[in-house]
Amino acid sequence: MSFFAALGRPEVLDLARQTHYFWALLPEIVLTLGAMLVLIVDVIHKGDRSEPSRGSIPVLTLAVLAATALANTALFGLRDVSANGMVAVDGFRTFTNFVYLVAAALCIAISMGYLERRGIMKGEFHALVLFATLGMMLMGGSRDLIMTFIGLEVMSVPIYVLVGFDRMDPRSSEASLKYFLLGAFSSGFFLYGIALVFGAVGSTNLTYIAETLGTGTDHGHERLLMAGMALTLVGLGFKVAAIPFHMWTPDAYDGAPTPVTALMSTGVKAAAFAAFVRIFAVAFADAGAQWVPVVWWLAAVTMVGANLVALTQGSVKRMLAYSSIAHAGYLLVALLSGGDTGKAAFLFYILAYTVMTAGAFGIVIANSRDGEERVTLEDYAGLGLEKPWLGAAFSIFLLSLAGFPLTAGFLGKLYILRAAVEGGQAQLAVILVLASLVSYFYYLRVIVVMYMRPARSEGWHAGAGLPLAARTAVLAACVVVVAMFFAGAVPMRWAEQSALSLWRQPAPVAASPAPASLFR
Amino acid sequence: MDFLKHLYEGPGILTFLIAFPLLGALAAWLVGDRSARATALVVGIVELLVSVPLFFTFDPTGTCPQSVIGRQNEGLPFAFSQLTVPFQNCTDAPWFADWGIHFRIGLDGISLFMVLLTTLLLPLMVLGSWTYIRDRQRTFYAMLLALTAGVVGVFVALDMFVFYVFWELVLIPMYFLIGVWGGKERVYAAVKFFLYTAAGSLLMLVAILYVYFRVHSVTGMSSFSYFDFMNPLAAFSAREEALLFLAFALAFAVKVPIFPFHTWLPHAHVQAPTAGSVILAGVLLKMGTYGFIRFAVPFFPDAAHAPGAVKWAMVLGVIGIIYAAMVAAVQPNAKKLVAYTSVAHLGFVILGIFAYNLIGLQGALMVMIGHGLSTPMLFFLLGMLYERRHSYEIEDFGGLAASIPVFATMLVFAAMASIGLPGTSGFVSEFLVLLGTFKTHPYVALLASTGVIFAAYYMLPMVQKVAFNALRSPANRDIPDLDRRELAILLPLVVLILWIGIYPKPFLDRMEPAALRLLATQSTRLAPPMQPMGDVAAAAPNP
Amino acid sequence: MQQIPLEQALGLSALLFAIGAFGVVIRRNAIILFMCIELMLNAVNLAFVAFSPRSGVQGQVFVFFVIAVAAAEAAVGLAIIISVFRHKESVDIKNFSLLRW
Repeated sequence: MSFFAALGRPEVLDLARQTHYFWALLPEIVLTLGAMLVLIVDVIHKGDRSEPSRGSIPVLTLAVLAATALANTALFGLRDVSANGMVAVDGFRTFTNFVYLVAAALCIAISMGYLERRGIMKGEFHALVLFATLGMMLMGGSRDLIMTFIGLEVMSVPIYVLVGFDRMDPRSSEASLKYFLLGAFSSGFFLYGIALVFGAVGSTNLTYIAETLGTGTDHGHERLLMAGMALTLVGLGFKVAAIPFHMWTPDAYDGAPTPVTALMSTGVKAAAFAAFVRIFAVAFADAGAQWVPVVWWLAAVTMVGANLVALTQGSVKRMLAYSSIAHAGYLLVALLSGGDTGKAAFLFYILAYTVMTAGAFGIVIANSRDGEERVTLEDYAGLGLEKPWLGAAFSIFLLSLAGFPLTAGFLGKLYILRAAVEGGQAQLAVILVLASLVSYFYYLRVIVVMYMRPARSEGWHAGAGLPLAARTAVLAACVVVVAMFFAGAVPMRWAEQSALSLWRQPAPVAASPAPASLFR
Repeated sequence: MDFLKHLYEGPGILTFLIAFPLLGALAAWLVGDRSARATALVVGIVELLVSVPLFFTFDPTGTCPQSVIGRQNEGLPFAFSQLTVPFQNCTDAPWFADWGIHFRIGLDGISLFMVLLTTLLLPLMVLGSWTYIRDRQRTFYAMLLALTAGVVGVFVALDMFVFYVFWELVLIPMYFLIGVWGGKERVYAAVKFFLYTAAGSLLMLVAILYVYFRVHSVTGMSSFSYFDFMNPLAAFSAREEALLFLAFALAFAVKVPIFPFHTWLPHAHVQAPTAGSVILAGVLLKMGTYGFIRFAVPFFPDAAHAPGAVKWAMVLGVIGIIYAAMVAAVQPNAKKLVAYTSVAHLGFVILGIFAYNLIGLQGALMVMIGHGLSTPMLFFLLGMLYERRHSYEIEDFGGLAASIPVFATMLVFAAMASIGLPGTSGFVSEFLVLLGTFKTHPYVALLASTGVIFAAYYMLPMVQKVAFNALRSPANRDIPDLDRRELAILLPLVVLILWIGIYPKPFLDRMEPAALRLLATQSTRLAPPMQPMGDVAAAAPNP
Repeated sequence: MQQIPLEQALGLSALLFAIGAFGVVIRRNAIILFMCIELMLNAVNLAFVAFSPRSGVQGQVFVFFVIAVAAAEAAVGLAIIISVFRHKESVDIKNFSLLRW
């Protein structure tokens, strides 16, 4: 950190001073400039010819992400003394920023080779991924509802384009249209919710909202606030893909180019959840009596429903889509658990989830061919035996998603369970365990097919594989998934510190609708 | 010699026994198909040689200092609150220290024999798979070695988190062993095995977490330590304790398997390759009964000693013995028959455990050992037969005593050991169980003793049809007798079966203190009505 | 000059929003769906402006943000619709069946 201090970074930020905004927004600034650089370099390379971009573009993109991560470390240990800044300067933001950057880096890494095969190797793809990442950082790091909205849009608009990036593929375009329509629809709800909260409380600043609700003074606009919270919840529910707001998810995930699916199910979800935590678990914490029961049901229905539907899926990509919905349910449990443990569990789980999901999509990419997605279960038959490394890596990711010991997923779930029991949500903990049991079936089925059924034909898997960089990334993800189990104490402590730094500690959330004493 | 003794009193040996097969698994995978089996054999033999001195240096009183394991038990009213805990070779390395998760392992008179059984079977299984497994050898041996590591871990874990991790770790390699190298219906068998066991263990996980949080909320300390889980301050209500016991018991009952939960076992056994059946019958089933002895009963003595629980356990145990014997008697498939005998034998173990006296418990442990020798021997023999004739159907054979006399002799011996003929391990152990059960539940003992007769009823006809009768089929005439490798597998088992059958004292001596202590723990926790919570909390030192 | 009461302005905003949301649910033409969404956003703008006298000038500033965002969304959205139209010769979402809803 002395590096940034030497550059003149102040120890304490006062956002009333303009220059301090530079430090507060350093990662975002670096990322924006980098994204523009990627666009410009691509144009300079290509001129006015229509040809695939050079292989140096993804490398440059990864370099930009690395530079952003470095800039993000400048936020370590920074304190913010002002209360009305639109951007939060806390450990929570630093942590989640890393999660988005990891998601984006994995997305770029596994897209190498894939884009060429589908004939969509264009520099815009990489620039759009960077801009979407910028949106995530703004959304997850905002301390003002309007900033959250802008971040949401900066994130969503590039994603709409990315989903439909393969213009020649009707499925991609169709998925893009569906995602766009439902995404814009949900943004409308979210925005209307902001307007009503603004009307009720008189500000969109989250700190101010939290303080106003915390003092318990009667602001006289109870119903307006309720309606605002409900609409905000709907909007965020769409973005995190919680049942019953999940209809777009399987289609958009299925139709989108697979690296984009990976980004949507990791980075986008993480950003939406970070905003969810900031808005609900922090700003609306003292109105918990109103929203906790609703979110309780949302979490329960999401966990149970998504896992049950995932059982019926014949496509691995769609199965992973439903699995990501189910994981939204688990994350909601962490959010509901409240307290520092709940938020730390959330952070730990979102990190583990990002790595393992992106890795799993990397294997899906490895199994695809020119113009062929190869995502049905039968396409995976025999993969584990013909390609032991791919099979082993996929097994590890799937077991981690299922929450099996020796993987990060197990520790993450244990963390959430612990937070849930401590936070008085023992019933949700039980539902989570039962839902995980159901999830064993469909994760296991893929492993069964990979190892215990013969391939469709001789040499069916001959072309399966990834280019070196992508292989390295997937292998790294694999190592991280296992290492996070054995050395989980390190990210855990980091998550705890980050959760502690959320600028306001909420009061314990109210009890769940049914009596929270199944056990005690 | 001093050096050796010093080594075997130190903490590293158990960690070595877990880590070495894991490294061996990696090595077997890396060296490739051609030399994987040789690598696995070397690893297995080294593992066995390293583990054997544990038997001779074993000190039943235990050598682990209090400070190593179970941090804060001073002043608590039960038998573990001595200056040393009755375990040896303890390791206690912080893992997730904030949560109270440590890598705690240790050995006592109960786990000692389970560990030795595992390490004994490992090289034998490698030899048994020598020619049986032809495809994907490196993965097979890697799985086998990883499985062994997991099993050893289960038997020495003294931290509930570590225990759970090893418990689940065992599942995956076993699942692959059945599913990839098994028979025709292997996928069905593998998935059934996995889901049954996983469902049971998730329930156990919930119960573990519940106890963890309760101990945390009562004493303020976060610990997954085995000893802290027996903290009497936790003071569960009767209903809580019953539910928790049930959650643990279900996980273990599926694994044992106790009567209504046994349906995965015949499939798994019949479909698994020989080595899979051997380790399944030899040690994996014992993980369930070990769980009862080590965890379920000591953690929740009130629930476990409740008349209802004991009654159910006894009834299910007896049903298991008699029902399994009945079903075994009509099996046309020899491997399935042997699989059902496992259910019957494990029924005896359940009786012995729930008799709650020293003889019963020792008997249960002896059945676990004896069954871990005789049933693997039967599976090895059937595997050898399968390699020659590619069949497990009893009616395909007949008159093998004429064509392959050595094999037939071995088969007769193994069958006798399984039935429990005097002079074999089976007799001593089942006799002890019946004696122990008779003290508390005479009628149950009477019923169960018919099981011994039943064992003869299903085992002898099988032996007769396979080894004797007329040598009708020409295919049975020109098959080679056992070779040296196969004898090398069987002879150690023969020797051990006879040793235990004739002179079981060294075994009983080593397990007696541990068994007594477990019983004492339960009775001290059972007997006095709990003091009011506040008093105990005040009396207990709170560091 | 008399000010329009807050309730009436909010009521109109809610009505417009409801019309928009309802339209999204029942209409099947992608362009009309998109227009309905725009209507929803503009209803929100109206609410922001209506709250502005009471809750501060922020409300009016937000409207500009929303307009800018809506314009960006429109640009991307129409491009997506055109891209779909090229494949299907239709913008009726009933015809999109490659992916199940």
